[in-house]
Parts: sequence; C-alpha cells; structure tokens
Amino acid sequence: MAQTYATQETSNAGGFEPRIVAFVCNWCTYAGADLAGTSRLQYAPNVRVVKLPCTGRINPLFVLKAFEGGADAVLVSGCHPGDCHYTSGNYHARRRWTLFRDLLDRTGIDPRRLHFSWVSAAEGQKFADLINDITAKVREAGPFGATNPARRRP
Amino acid sequence: MSPIDRLRADAADLLRQGRAKVVLGYRQRGGQCIPVAVTDPEAAGALAWDPACKQNLAAYLRKPEVRRLRPVALVARPAVMRSLVVLAAESQVRPEDVVVLAVGDDGEYHGVLDLAGTAALLKEKYADLGHDAAAMKRIEELAAMTPEERAAFWAAEFAKCTRCYACRAACPACYCERCIVERNQPQWISTAARSHGNYAWNVIRAFHLAGRCTECGACEAACPQGIPLMLLNVGLAADVERQFGAKAGYDAEAEPVIGSWNAEDPEEFIR
Amino acid sequence: MRLLEAKKLGDLAAALQAAGYRVIAPVEDGGVVRLREWQPGERIVTDAFAVNSAKDFLLPRSEAIARYRIEGNDFEAQDVPVEAPKTALLCVRPCDAASLAAMDTVFNWDYADEFYNARRAATTVITLGCTTADEHCFCTSAGGAPDATAGADAVLRPADGGTRLVLETFGEKGEALAAAAGALLAEGDAQIDPPAEVPARFDAAAVTAWLRENFESPLWQQVSLACLGCGACAYACPTCHCFDIQDEGNRKEAVRYRNWDTCGLTLFTAHAGGHNPRADQSARWRQRVMHKFAYFPERFGMLACTGCGRCGRLCPAGMAISETCAAIDREAKAAKR
Repeated sequence: MAQTYATQETSNAGGFEPRIVAFVCNWCTYAGADLAGTSRLQYAPNVRVVKLPCTGRINPLFVLKAFEGGADAVLVSGCHPGDCHYTSGNYHARRRWTLFRDLLDRTGIDPRRLHFSWVSAAEGQKFADLINDITAKVREAGPFGATNPARRRP
Repeated sequence: MSPIDRLRADAADLLRQGRAKVVLGYRQRGGQCIPVAVTDPEAAGALAWDPACKQNLAAYLRKPEVRRLRPVALVARPAVMRSLVVLAAESQVRPEDVVVLAVGDDGEYHGVLDLAGTAALLKEKYADLGHDAAAMKRIEELAAMTPEERAAFWAAEFAKCTRCYACRAACPACYCERCIVERNQPQWISTAARSHGNYAWNVIRAFHLAGRCTECGACEAACPQGIPLMLLNVGLAADVERQFGAKAGYDAEAEPVIGSWNAEDPEEFIR
Repeated sequence: MRLLEAKKLGDLAAALQAAGYRVIAPVEDGGVVRLREWQPGERIVTDAFAVNSAKDFLLPRSEAIARYRIEGNDFEAQDVPVEAPKTALLCVRPCDAASLAAMDTVFNWDYADEFYNARRAATTVITLGCTTADEHCFCTSAGGAPDATAGADAVLRPADGGTRLVLETFGEKGEALAAAAGALLAEGDAQIDPPAEVPARFDAAAVTAWLRENFESPLWQQVSLACLGCGACAYACPTCHCFDIQDEGNRKEAVRYRNWDTCGLTLFTAHAGGHNPRADQSARWRQRVMHKFAYFPERFGMLACTGCGRCGRLCPAGMAISETCAAIDREAKAAKR
C-alpha cells in the first residue's frame, strides 16, 4: 500500500513534492498523528512534524521561519477549544492565528499555504485526511519558491 | 486667546507651578515640525502645533533621561492620547507622572488633563475615530489583488528598507529594552537588509503592535525611505476591531488583545 | 567649454547606458527622491535632495563576503566573486563626491577592502553643481562647497539660467565619460550660474578643539534629548561606514554577510555580559559627533562629514548634527569670553 501511494505521488507531472511543515501540540494533534500511524492509515509523507507542548507555545515567527527555509505550506494544529492540556493555551493561540493569518495574507502569503486545525488525540483519520488534502492542494498550487516573500534567497 | 497661545500659557504655568518638570511639544524649524523639550517657562512661547507634527511624543517616555524629568507634560493629539492610555494599561507609565496638553487633529485645544481626564476626553469626543480613509482604500485595492501581486507589491516596498529601525524608534509601543530583532540565540529575524529579513521584520513588528497600535502614523512619517507602513498597521487595527471588537487606547484597564481571549473568539478558518 | 543642453540630461543617461555603464541617478520613487538605477524615460531630479547617498553603491546595505559548505567532516570555504559593474553616479551632489575621500581612507586603512575597492574602481562620479541649497545644507562648514570638485571624475555646472550644463572632466574616468557622451556635447560658451548660498553654520576647527576637552560636558544631555536612537541618520549619511558581520545558514551551508550597522542603537556596544559602555542615548550621540569631528580628524586629518544635511532632513525627531556643532561652537565661544 505504501509503495503504491508513493508511486502515485511521484508520478505527478513535474514531479513537484510539496514540503509541508506542521507545528502541532504534543497532547492532541501529535497523539492524533501517532494514532494515524499505529492504525496504518496512509497519509502523504510530505509533512515534517514539529512537536511543541501546546499551540500556545507557537510563536508566529516559527511559521515565518518555516516559509523562510523553503516550506511550501505550513499547518498549525492543536487541541479543540476546551480540551487544552494547559487549559487555555489554544485560546491564546487562536487569537494570534486570526490576526497573523490576515497579516500574512495581506503581505502576499497565499492562504492556500497556511492551514490551522483542531485535531484531537482520537482523530487519527482526521489527521491523515488533513495532510492528504493539504498536500493535494499545495501540489496543485505549485512550489512556493519565487512568489514566497519570506523565502531566504541564496 | 488662540488655541496655540492658550497651550503655550498652560505649558508655562505647568512648569512654573512644578506640575511638570518638562513639557514635550513641537517647534517649527524651517519647513519642519519637530519635537522640543521645554524646561524653562519663558521658552514655552516656542511651542507650535500643526498637523505636520507627526512624531508621537509618547515615545519619549521610554527614555530614562525623560522619565527623570517627571512629571512629564506632553502635547498630545487623539492618537497620542490613546498611546498614553495603552502605555498605562501596560504598566509602562504611572498616572501621576504624566500630564497631557490635549489637542484635536483640527488644532482645537482641550486644555490640561491628567490620564483619567484624557481617557474621559477620548471616550467623549474621539470614540468614533475611523481608520485612515486613504489607507483603507489602498488596503481594499490590495485585497482585490492575487496573493502573487500582493507579494510583488510588498517585495518592492520592503526592498527599500535599510533596517534603520526608525519605525521602531518613533513608536511609543515599541519599548522593549531588547527587541526581538536583537535576539541572536537564535537570530530569529535576519538583520541583513535583504528580502527575507525585511519581510520578517516589518511583518513581526506590525504583529507585535496588534491591538496596541493607535494609528498615529509616526512610523510611516519616520521612515526615511517612504515605505507605506500604515497599510500594515491600519489593516491589522481594522482586523482587531472587526474580529474582537477592540480598539486600542480607550481603556487604561483593558487587557491586551493578544494576551487575552474569549471562548467565543472567531474560528471559522480553523479546520 | 563643453556644453550639454540641460533638457538632454536623460539622453546623457541613455548614452552612458549604451556605453555599458550602470547609470545611477536621483529619480522620483514612491513619493521620495532616491538614487537608484535610472530607467529610460525617467526624469532626473536636480532640484530636490535624494534620501540616500552614493554610499549605497560602494558599500551596499548587505553583501555576501564569503560562503561555506560542510559535507561530513569536510569544510569548504568559497570565495564570493566581487560584484563591481561599471557604474556612473550621475548628478550626485558635490557633498556626495567629497565623502569618497573619507570612505577611500577607511577602506584602505588597516587592510585594503577588495569589495569596496573593486566597486570604487568601477565607478565614475559625475556631480551636478548646486545652485540651490536648503536650510539643512552645511557643506561650507565641513570643508566643502556647492561647486567643489573633490572626489568627482566630472562635474556638470548649471549655466545660462540652468538651461545648459558645462562639463568639466578630471582624469581618465572623466574623459571616458565625455567620450561616451559623444555628440551630446557641443563646444561653446556659457555663463556659469552662481553656486547656491550656503551660509557658515559653525567653525569646524573650533568644534574639533572643544570636543577634545569636553567629553563629560552636560551639553551632551541637552543636545541629545530628542534622539530616539534609530539608524536613519547613519544609513543616509554618505560617510558612515560601520558594519556588522553576520553568518546565516544551517549545518550544511552558510553565507557570511557584511551589513550596515549604526552606533545609534543600544545594541551597538552592548556586551554579552550585560554591560553597555554607552549606557544612554547622550553617550551614543556624543560618539557620533566625536567620530566625525574629533576621532577622524585626529587620525586621518579630515572630517568624516561633508555637510550634505541628509541627517537633519530625515531625522524623525528633528536631530541634526549641524545643530549640535553650532551649539558646541557657541559653547566654545562663550567659554573663551
């Protein structure tokens, strides 16, 4: 199964494989991603997961750094409101994301490349579906090279 | 007496009576309107005011040399009055250390006020300050472009940035003793005047001001390269108002927008 | 005399481009006048001051000076080829040209800076004599003049009420420029317009003498209170040259950049242990003034300031080094009485 999926990806015209960075919280989304793995759910290998204790720890600069380093898309994901392991970290994060997302959109970071989600420890399928969906959308949008305003140029 | 004469008389009185040790105001020099610090009541006649006076005098309150001269009186238009309220809300200024010589954007003079009086004046007369119309129009035009077009627009603007940090220096809300761009373990924001560092600097500064910026325009006026910084700040201020119903600088007890939260905060963009 | 019709300034720029020069000229750009690469058809602005100086093209805001790669245990340092395109700085002011003396000195002082020198060698400086000045100009107090020629390879002097420009060339670079201008130049006579009036604002020698004796003067607190501690003045200044070296990269490869830096920032002298020898803005402002009017003359026999006035024009807080020098001059005279 894994082999077939990989072949499907690399056979896409142009051979562009998106690089997606996901900043996730330890208690919910990371656990959900683990569950996807242990349940043998197939999801695109394009994502690099960065684990943090809580979405409240995510500094918007992390998102910028990911784009600076060449990420084609970024996902930020954590516990559903009310379920935060630290009670309110995700509420703080939600406010930041609302404003930061608008700011990045205004300055030319295509909103198709920046995603936010709530994925709980029990939502392995949701995580897999999310990654597959984002990967497909970004593959269609193409590499975020020339038009990435945050990208470090050689 | 004309408004400016009343302002000068009040400034001189404040100094004579010891209610202020320094009056921060503006003076005319050639074609420029520039900040001036008056400590001698006889020199209060040099104080001037016109809409070209863009530098936000509240920014001086972060200088220890100025704070040593407290109580500090300062000439403040509505956006500057709001800056003072934000500084008070963030515990950066004590009410007893500040006296306000309140002016309207149209040259009207409202007299000498303390911080509480300033907040009251803002609520009474300046509660409905809209966002700068020209900036909003430009923001709308940009919003109608594709992301690539917007990226190209800002790339051209940020290419002018020399990283002089005049925007930061001019801003009363930028009072960090060690700015994020000065942190080098790790170096979060590149200090080189290149596209990636310039993008990160201008975007992150705007973000650090979200919910705190009072749209005074000092940053854009300070920028020696003519970068339209207010498009970023007004855009974010409009977002803050639309998404969270908050406007900076009216309530000295208000919680910071980014530092607080509400269970009903919008989240339709979160999957 | 070699004459150019003033309205043919654009044609001169085009001719220089055709001759292989990258042409830098003052043009309108986003609401300000900026020295940047001239595009065909653009009007060269001769009646307003550019926000930036010729320095941008000799010492760029940020340039790569080295690169390296790491593969396993192998470290490979790579030289960066110096970018020094043949450049004509067209219609810069005499104060810009005068600044080159200080820059050439610094970048060939304890070592020869190959990056600066390559660009310097590839640059031809054509000044436009000043027939107008504003209240910020003080070239005449800094050893210069609105019709001075120091640092220029060629000078265009306004004549006949500004309708014509008289070309004077110095040396090989100047002659090469005249050759590139070709038929645009005509032989003839013209009445050179009087240079701008730039009244003396202070006595630089008196300032230098005072600075040597008054490091702890309370004057520093007074003159620097308005300073907000940014780098607008230093970055606009044609002679400010301090820089910072920053490596940016990852475990596999990195670039070493030389970036502009400014003594106006707190960080400039901040020590890793937390101490800062220039603890407040008055100490930083004092440093700026002393570097230009005391240390540089002491070491190199010239001021590190040409009186262009950009700092005064651009400062958001209304600071101007000429005002500080004038205050020092007054203080020095008062002390003598």
